[in-house]
Amino acid sequence: MPSRHSIAAPPVKGGAAPAGSRPVGSAPEDERQRAKLSRRWQRDLRWSPYAFVAPFFLLFIAFGLFPLLYTGWASLHSVELTAPTDMEWAGLKNFTRIFDDEFFWNAARNTLFIGIVSTVPQLAMAMGIAHLLNYKLRGSTFWRVSMLAPYATSVAAATLVFVLLFGRDYGMINWALDFLGINPVDWQAGWASKIAVSTIVIWRWTGYNALIYLAAMQAIPHDLYESAALDGASRWRQFFHVTLPSLRPTILFTVVVSTIGATQIFGEALLFDASKGASGGSEHDFQTLGLYLYEQGWVNQHLGRASAIAWTMFAILIVIGLVNSVISRRLRTSS
Amino acid sequence: MRAIRTARHRAVVLATVAALGAGLLAGCADDGKDEDAASSGNSDGKTTITVGLFGTFGFKEAGLYDEYMKQNPDIQIKETVTERNENYYPALLSHLTQNSGLQDIQGVEVGNIAEITSTQADKLVDLSKYGKKADFLESKWAQGTTKDGKTVALGTDVGPMAICYRKDIFEQAGLPTDREELAKLWEGDWAKFIDVGRDFKKNAPKGVTFMDSPGGLLNAVLSSETEKFYNAEGEVIYKTNPAVKDAFDLTADAASEGLIGKQVQFQPAWDTTIAKGKFAAMSCPPWMLGYIESKSEASSAGKWDVAKAPKAGNWGGSFLAVPKAGKNAEEAAKLAAWLTAPEQQATLFAKRGSFPSAPATYEGEQVRAAKNKMTGDAPIGEIFGDAAKTSPVQVIGPKDQIIQQGLTDNGVILVTKGKSAAQAWSNAIKTIDNNLEK
Amino acid sequence: MTTTLTPPQQPAPEKTPGVKSSRSRRPRSARAGGQFHAGPLTYVILALFTLGSLFPLFWTAVAASRDNTRLAQSPPPFWFGANLFDKAEVAWKDGNLGEAFINTTFVAGTSALTICFLSTMAGFAFAKLRFKGSNALLLVVIGTMMVPPQLSVIPLYMMVAKLDWSDQLQAVLLPSLVNAFGVFFMRQYLIQALPDELIEAGRVDGASTWRILWHIVFPIARPAMAVLAMLKFVETWNDFLWPFLVLTQHGSPTVQVALAGLGRGYTPDQALIMAGALLGTLPLLLVFVIFGKQIVGGIMQGAVKG
Repeated sequence: MPSRHSIAAPPVKGGAAPAGSRPVGSAPEDERQRAKLSRRWQRDLRWSPYAFVAPFFLLFIAFGLFPLLYTGWASLHSVELTAPTDMEWAGLKNFTRIFDDEFFWNAARNTLFIGIVSTVPQLAMAMGIAHLLNYKLRGSTFWRVSMLAPYATSVAAATLVFVLLFGRDYGMINWALDFLGINPVDWQAGWASKIAVSTIVIWRWTGYNALIYLAAMQAIPHDLYESAALDGASRWRQFFHVTLPSLRPTILFTVVVSTIGATQIFGEALLFDASKGASGGSEHDFQTLGLYLYEQGWVNQHLGRASAIAWTMFAILIVIGLVNSVISRRLRTSS
Repeated sequence: MRAIRTARHRAVVLATVAALGAGLLAGCADDGKDEDAASSGNSDGKTTITVGLFGTFGFKEAGLYDEYMKQNPDIQIKETVTERNENYYPALLSHLTQNSGLQDIQGVEVGNIAEITSTQADKLVDLSKYGKKADFLESKWAQGTTKDGKTVALGTDVGPMAICYRKDIFEQAGLPTDREELAKLWEGDWAKFIDVGRDFKKNAPKGVTFMDSPGGLLNAVLSSETEKFYNAEGEVIYKTNPAVKDAFDLTADAASEGLIGKQVQFQPAWDTTIAKGKFAAMSCPPWMLGYIESKSEASSAGKWDVAKAPKAGNWGGSFLAVPKAGKNAEEAAKLAAWLTAPEQQATLFAKRGSFPSAPATYEGEQVRAAKNKMTGDAPIGEIFGDAAKTSPVQVIGPKDQIIQQGLTDNGVILVTKGKSAAQAWSNAIKTIDNNLEK
Repeated sequence: MTTTLTPPQQPAPEKTPGVKSSRSRRPRSARAGGQFHAGPLTYVILALFTLGSLFPLFWTAVAASRDNTRLAQSPPPFWFGANLFDKAEVAWKDGNLGEAFINTTFVAGTSALTICFLSTMAGFAFAKLRFKGSNALLLVVIGTMMVPPQLSVIPLYMMVAKLDWSDQLQAVLLPSLVNAFGVFFMRQYLIQALPDELIEAGRVDGASTWRILWHIVFPIARPAMAVLAMLKFVETWNDFLWPFLVLTQHGSPTVQVALAGLGRGYTPDQALIMAGALLGTLPLLLVFVIFGKQIVGGIMQGAVKG
């Protein structure tokens, strides 16, 4: 049961070779043989790690590094998509202008809001569903597969359906609201639009995260619950005092992955109101950073500006990543 | 134990996936054969010309490729179409800048043609030797020509605008329904047109607006100007051009008075307002009649009519360009010229409703006698032909589309959502300026 | 190499932080379901969530079976109209979907398998091997995860153009192989799933690092590899922006590229577009339904715990 060997903390650090610990023979020939072996051994220990990571880095250098360096270089220039090689030095202007680019900060706020609104309920619901799926169920595979089905849908296909469902005048959701006596909502403007875009993200990912949580729940030793039950804890108390604390590492992992995903939300916002191009609503209501970058680069063709936005996003993400790792380290040491 | 069992499960999964893949392969073997036949045809000496288009051209559907291939037995034509220009154009631009991945012929929308002629002309074949200048509307030929006189794109269709209106709804609101009479009523000035709208509102049927959408009106007014966003020197003047501000304010006023539906064009909800007769009039180029027809129920056939617009203008239309990088640039240029020649444009109008940019056709039977199911007896060919001939030769610029989009989708639409005209204007120009700044 | 073939037997030294536990293995029944039997309320709530999960998919099919006019009316349609098969047929032919399915299966499959293999190798090195510069290199890996993908597209295209790879599947395949998430994912998994004792045992038997990778790491990493493969397969299947730039509809399209030409015209045909979206999703859905148990099992075994 490989997966059930949980949380790291290996007793021996590193995979150091116990070369010297073998029984020693005394014949000189044996000695030479061993020296040869040991040399090969050393070489293997020394170089094979590099050989193992090399393919990734070679591919990365071939197809990842050049784009990265190029956009870095382009971000220091005034350069248009219509002539990507025709660069005019601009220094840090593309970066400094971001400070008073209200559209950038609007996009940053939207990304944050959509990120939170799509991540928090999503993970909370995933947790709830996982809890339910963890009961002894009839047809458990059916439930699990249906939860996962949205994940198979492409962003484009999912967004297309939701655009129709969220239609202001003839969409099903407003029809249902009207049925309940609530006034119809313009789902392509204001706060409602951010919630609508978040809904698409939630729909696609909740089931997937639920299964991850379910897996982690099933790895919690049974006797923890037994002893909690002996202490007279209700099921709810068991959930809060046994299940949740045991899931902490898993929760952290899903939070990190969802955060990165949320920062890069793009397709949903682009297609949610395709009639407005890439501006994400009339008043940039749901324009995310990914979409703003796309608008500047692909629609307005300002390659230099778009590159600077990309690098700024990159920097923000790294900061978030660092904060995240600090927090998780704190949590780990405190537990 | 378990590990072994899951391993077996996984083997079963893999085997089945493989089988599924094989099944797919087998299932599509027929398609594969066709492809083989085609490519072996190539090696027999046939030249394949590839055509990359977006949306609306309809050459294939009108049978033009078949005809050309019949006339030129050693030519084969293959077409790739992308639905949305928003996807198509950025890809085309990347392909042009890198001289790679290009089709032998590429379609270009009128909103992008100024950018293509001003930045990508050196990548394109000069077509002035292939097409005849005299065949085209002056403005159309000019739009495909660079400043130094190279014609790098030949015009296909144009979109001369008229006003399409619902006779039955006009009648209910107590307005005249005769197209001549109406045209007189608003002749020469869009403000007069809006005045008619105010009259309309007094007796309008409940829930019915005069026009369909703010975007439609703004677009119509702007299209009838000689200069809108750029001046003849190529400078951006949209903010200081009084014509633009007037058009914006006129639209915003009309919207705030409730003369215009709160819709964005080409959205499903807008389609429904067509189907249900939720508005009385819209600015419409010929292709819009096809749109109206496709969104309407059969019962509304003949209820529409077409009148001259206050001022003539153009909306939409496209071009064909031939990249130098293509393998068969020479043959491709010939094909592009043939496809845009008057006879083929006339055929395309007859079969697909794309209005010709070749004025010679306007006198021909195919255009003159044209009728549309939605507009009954209205002599649409005549009305649109006149509009095409009287449309101004408008100064267009590389970023027209971005500016217009800003004014519409980040501008006047806000008035329908309760913002003031001033707020809408400031939101629009902020967006546009940010988008234009390099 | 007998040691390498047996699954890890050593009980994990510590189970949950801060909690003493004598048993490292739960009884089998726990895996099949939780400790408690579900009550009716559980089924009701689950049914509601399932409804929310499946309804948009169902409604995609409903929309595909209608036409534009019916789609923009209130109340919206709740049940199938007559057009589904017509629209599907048009979408299939217009979209050249047969070829597209083959291409996409090939690209997504090759990409998924290669990434699995390379990521496990690199993940193993980062998780369990000591080498100079490993921390810095790992940071680079994590950093590349955070590059916004929309922009790399332009310089990458400049490269592909130089190599003259337009309309060739390797233009989609090769760049898709750079997958930092995979390396990170496998590292996280192997850190906890691969006991150091096993590697040591291998070393004692004189196995080279390569043999250890082959005979110890791969068998243990298999569940996570399956998940990674599925994630990558679905991602590649659904990718649009990049394939659209390098491929065309008759130059080896992928499914999403093929679908881009559907419903074209001044009057986009919503139903046809929905039919295309449905056809594009259907193969993945079918695989999910047929192999649901294995996929879910894979995700759950491969789920990284920290």
